[in-house]
Amino acid sequence: MNPRAPASVRSQAAWLCAALLCTTAAGAAAERLDQLPQAWRDDLNQRLVLGDLVGHRVILSMAYTQCHRTCPATLHELQRMQQVLDRRGEQASFVIVGYDADNDDPQSWHRYRLTHGLARDNWHFLTGTPATVRRLARALGFDFWNYDLHVMHDSRVVFFDSEGRYSGGVSPATGNWAALL
Amino acid sequence: MRCLTTTHTVTKKRAPHRIHAILALLAVVGAMPCAMANATGKPDPSLVEMQKKLDQSLQLIEALTERVRELEARQAVPAAATAPGAPATSNAATPAAEATTGTSRLDADERKLEQLEKENANRSTDDTGLPLHGFADVGIGTHNPINPDLKGAYVGNLDFYLAPHLGDHTRALFEMNTEVGSEGSVDVDLERAQIGYQFNDQATVWVGRYHTPYGYINTSLHHGSWVNNTLRRPKFLQFEDNGGIVPAHTVGMWLTGAVHAGGGKFLYDVYAGNSQEIVDGALDMRNAGTSNGHIGGGARLAYQFKTGRVDGLMLGVHAFTSTITDDAVPSNATRVLAYGGFAVFDTDQWENIAEIYLFDDRDIRGGTSTHRSTAGFLQLGYRATWGVPYARYERTVLEQSDPYFAALEGGASYHRIALGARFDIDLKSAIKLELANTRLTDRSLDRYGEGLVQYAIRF
Repeated sequence: MNPRAPASVRSQAAWLCAALLCTTAAGAAAERLDQLPQAWRDDLNQRLVLGDLVGHRVILSMAYTQCHRTCPATLHELQRMQQVLDRRGEQASFVIVGYDADNDDPQSWHRYRLTHGLARDNWHFLTGTPATVRRLARALGFDFWNYDLHVMHDSRVVFFDSEGRYSGGVSPATGNWAALL
Repeated sequence: MRCLTTTHTVTKKRAPHRIHAILALLAVVGAMPCAMANATGKPDPSLVEMQKKLDQSLQLIEALTERVRELEARQAVPAAATAPGAPATSNAATPAAEATTGTSRLDADERKLEQLEKENANRSTDDTGLPLHGFADVGIGTHNPINPDLKGAYVGNLDFYLAPHLGDHTRALFEMNTEVGSEGSVDVDLERAQIGYQFNDQATVWVGRYHTPYGYINTSLHHGSWVNNTLRRPKFLQFEDNGGIVPAHTVGMWLTGAVHAGGGKFLYDVYAGNSQEIVDGALDMRNAGTSNGHIGGGARLAYQFKTGRVDGLMLGVHAFTSTITDDAVPSNATRVLAYGGFAVFDTDQWENIAEIYLFDDRDIRGGTSTHRSTAGFLQLGYRATWGVPYARYERTVLEQSDPYFAALEGGASYHRIALGARFDIDLKSAIKLELANTRLTDRSLDRYGEGLVQYAIRF
């Protein structure tokens, strides 16, 4: 019997555990708004720090301007959420982060919100670097990948309470978002 | 406050690296005691000591994390005060001079923050490996949508797509497609294998096998059927082994980019690569190189409107030329020159596409001089709430004395009218229906109708 075998087994087990721990850590969702990447530009090309939105609840989704199928439907659901909040007399910030940092600059988003009648000032259309977009998407469970001119993605909305704590995520077309409002 | 900011910026820049390094170390170190205890069945005294150190390290991490958060909060407050469009904060406005100094410092800090986040994002991507994505489709029809001699159920494409993240400038794209031939055999094609360097948004150079940039659909709609609102491409723009008459792929070099101008943007493409050859009635893009040294190339220029009523409209022109030989004995050689234009109106409601190709081919070896042919299609699609109904008309008039079209299996003239609709089952699957009538107009005068159903997914 090789006396070194247990050490080898231990070493392998340790690396396996380490790998599992690292994987778990990488896939973990952010629990607070201020744990997400903070540096963004809005559609007026002004700097916006996500943590500054704490104080009202935050409803966040992702989109890109050239999407003609999923994103308009998602934004329509966000508008319905806004209507519900208006009826209740409650305030919230709506944040739409661009998937396609290479193509959707602040000017593109500005045109988009004008074209789509999304002019309310509590709506923020944000542009980041490709790296910050990927990091935020991973933290909040927005799975996406680029296929040439297209961005493959699902419809998803996540909610943060007025203290900036993550309170849930849902597919707005099929999920019960009213329960999270 | 200013001195503290400067000092803390340095701390902030380094602290997350340190935290990640400690976390990684702890993950490895922390896992070992578990494994060791499990292996021996009783705890080692040295492990107890290690556990204490671990606890101390964790406390240190928590303190560092809290410190970073505090610094980020301090930085965020003045940032919001100097940004008119930023959300309101409780911080009062600062004097102009201080604000100016603070703004430049904050800009520098922001750049550092962005750099830090960029590094973190890159590291996270590396940790989790490369995700595998793709498309697949199956269907049933009164005829096979590619080969009308067949009918019944068919297996379409299984298309795997890889676009690894390699860094700020290097890009890579690989697409491996399995498709079923007319004999039922499964063939695997490396449809795209391209590696490129992105200088900036205005210029990327690709080398490898790529989709030839002409018209609109050849570069925007690919092998994944799910991406396409229609059930199939126009017949004459099918991929090479499905009877296409325009080289869908080129192996060579491709410069592409976009330049913003006048509220929209110009998109340009310039490329050169191996001249294709016709083998067994289909275009072959010569993946490994050419034996005759012929080079083909072309260009495309388009303008995409992004304002007003024409938002979503794109107009473009394209041209390519290539000396294409075939496998006849003796072989023919044709200097193919194709040029034309395209128009796309792609909005939340409409997907309308028109493309036209004019051929001016010169027979180099046979001495039959120049042959002119035309091909084109017009497609109208409407994005309704329940689905995407569409109509398409295709027409080709291909000169059969042109050795290029004569050698191509799909080189016969035809016209086709198709009506169809796409219904999205969910965000990753769709069913498409199409009724089509096709009439061949020269090699044979056949006419056939088709009823097609396709189930397409992405994953």
